[in-house]
Amino acid sequence: MDQILKERDRLLHRTARTFGLSFTTISLLCLVVPGAIPPESYLVVLPLYAILAVSQYFMGRSRALGWPAGVFVAGLAIIAVIAFVENRVPTPAAMSAVSQIAAAAIACVAIVLTTSRRRLVALGVALLLVIALTLFFTFGWPNPVGTVLLVILGWVLASIVGIWVNAGVPQAARRIASIGRAHRAERQASEMEAQRRQSARLLHDTVLATLTLLAHSGVGVAPAALQQQAADDARLLRQLRLGATPTPQSSGDYNLEPVEETVLGTTLESVKQRFGRMGLEVSWHGTGQVLLPSDVLDAFLLALAECLENVRRHSGVTEAHVTIVDDATTVRAMITDAGVGFTLDDVDSARLGFKESVVGRLKEVGGHARLFSAPGSGTTVVLEVPR
Amino acid sequence: MSFPNENTLGAAITASNKRSLLPGGPASRARRQENQHRASLGTAFIGIGAALVVGVRAIYGFSWFVSLWGTYPQPALALSAWIVLIATLVTIFIVSRVIGDHLPDWIYLAFVALLAVVIVLDILAVWELHDFGGHATASLTAAMALLIVITLRGPVDILVTSGVLGAGILVAMVLSTPLTVETTPQLITSLGFAVLPVIIGVSVVTGFRRMVQIELDRVLVQSTISAPRFAVGMMASEELARLDLAAEELLDSVATGRNPLPLEPKVASVAASLATELRLHLIEGRRETWLYHAISESEMLGRSVALVDKSSLAGLLDANQRDGLLAAIWLLLSDNVKTTTDRTVNVQVGPITSAADPAIGQKLLVPVVITTTGVTRNRVDPSTWDAMRRVGRYSDSTQDASLRVDIECFVDNPADM
Repeated sequence: MDQILKERDRLLHRTARTFGLSFTTISLLCLVVPGAIPPESYLVVLPLYAILAVSQYFMGRSRALGWPAGVFVAGLAIIAVIAFVENRVPTPAAMSAVSQIAAAAIACVAIVLTTSRRRLVALGVALLLVIALTLFFTFGWPNPVGTVLLVILGWVLASIVGIWVNAGVPQAARRIASIGRAHRAERQASEMEAQRRQSARLLHDTVLATLTLLAHSGVGVAPAALQQQAADDARLLRQLRLGATPTPQSSGDYNLEPVEETVLGTTLESVKQRFGRMGLEVSWHGTGQVLLPSDVLDAFLLALAECLENVRRHSGVTEAHVTIVDDATTVRAMITDAGVGFTLDDVDSARLGFKESVVGRLKEVGGHARLFSAPGSGTTVVLEVPR
Repeated sequence: MSFPNENTLGAAITASNKRSLLPGGPASRARRQENQHRASLGTAFIGIGAALVVGVRAIYGFSWFVSLWGTYPQPALALSAWIVLIATLVTIFIVSRVIGDHLPDWIYLAFVALLAVVIVLDILAVWELHDFGGHATASLTAAMALLIVITLRGPVDILVTSGVLGAGILVAMVLSTPLTVETTPQLITSLGFAVLPVIIGVSVVTGFRRMVQIELDRVLVQSTISAPRFAVGMMASEELARLDLAAEELLDSVATGRNPLPLEPKVASVAASLATELRLHLIEGRRETWLYHAISESEMLGRSVALVDKSSLAGLLDANQRDGLLAAIWLLLSDNVKTTTDRTVNVQVGPITSAADPAIGQKLLVPVVITTTGVTRNRVDPSTWDAMRRVGRYSDSTQDASLRVDIECFVDNPADM
């Protein structure tokens, strides 16, 4: 609320500036019509116009009340000077210039004097002063009633602008606040929806595996099997979209058991088969019977599969070794190949999808990954997850 | 964050699917349009104010008309101009209240045509006097009457129409009235009163819309301060749903044989990029903090704020600190009058420097460094400092002629929770 009030003040001040400068220009145009006032009096009037315009300009930039006061004083000074030099029979130009100043160029301060009760009082006083002083300065000029009416019109119009914007802001602010509340609810709902989709990890893992096969045009897999797998996955995604949280038991060759703890060995076997189909021979060493919580297992397997995928694509060899060891606190996998290797500094790990797919996944379950390689001496990745 | 230029399947991430990972995808575009529509809220009220201004002006003009009645060579023409004008104003006011927030073209054109008729009638009525400035009444009010529809049409429409009407009046003035020292000032005055209020009105309405837009942006972004430590954000959620749907469609097409196996290279590369995007979304989303989402979702902040928060420490700030930090960034930028000014804010959260782990129950010190460009110390809104104080103890200095603030922000140690 506080912020929008600031914006409101800024808007009012800027409007006052536009309003004031426009009519100051009009007034000046009237005054520069040849013969409007004695030529030497321009020496006094023009600097006053400059002061007026500068005050109006800065009134648009700052919320201080000094600038409106400057507008007020400079405007009245202009009226006084013109009235002084034209005191008997004023030219129409002088009369127009004076009424523009009194009714509009000064009246722009009314726009910024509408924001509080105190300012409104100041507005009333200012209007009365302008009327009284204008009548006083221009005493003896024709049609004083017309002048007063015009001044009142100008000030009333300016006040309407100020008051109306002022009154419109709380209304808008209330509605914005209610939109904000609705948005907060929407954000929470969308957050939950995203969590739901993200937490369907088993589903996404099988979908990702199938997409991986498809990305290689499905070469090396029996078309019928792949079609069946795609149909299963599409069905699961449809269920997810319609609001359920499917937990697939298995998909294709994958064994995806949604139980609290899963034996690592059985799932490792399916990973091995999958890579075997794609031309990478994976040999397992070490323990095969490790129990892991299912979310840790998911992350572990996905990271492992990513590493093997990198071996398959980049190492230039068709064989990889995976050694699984475990102790009381951690399960560790070492993926080793005897391929071309690379200089760690040369290859951005992001390029291998390492950061996103491996490190990110493991980090989420409290694990981490390390990468060792040198050109010509193969690559070793160590993955660790807590038990 | 950095994106791999090649995914794990060897398919290059093309420009099109890379873009959809970033803010500015279809989701945020839809949101922007929605915001534009919402920006019109409150303008109906402003419209009533504008109608009131026209009403007051019409009463003033009409009283002049009455007082000048005796001088008209053809009072009937001038009177008919007023009758048409009043009928038009009343009708358009009622129509605009009924229609809502946009005036159809044909109604607008009919309205403008009627105003033109009023102007022509009034010009004909005072032509023989050869003193347009002193006697024209209805035509000047009619030119200003565009204010009534100022909230219902775009600023360009209004300004162009006002320019055309003003030009018409100017031509009539110059043709009907000899330009002398006596008459010229009144002509200038009349034209000014006919055209300037419309221009001022357009600037008020534009300013008001902008104000609503900014406030809306701020309020929407503020909903992030109650977000959990890591959140996926509005856009990521929509994106994930979109990716799931795309994957579903692709898998379905394979299952039904619409895409025969083995797949064409084009379809295969679609599968590859879908897999990569999906993978990135499943991992990336959870690592972003409220501050990242606030900045990427906001039109105003997204344009000029850069965030460096490698360890996602912003997520540790409590709601009050978040509110303060967001408000401070906002205030530093909101003086940004023009979108072209190069005022930027760079927020760096962390890293935690103290080598020793704090004891249990002790708060963690997260340094927050705000560096800016184009923000001078003395132009900073005073309430910015209050907002900074809510984040933590701060010290400000000047770096490269622009403000720099270092905040010591104490947060609960996540290890204790």
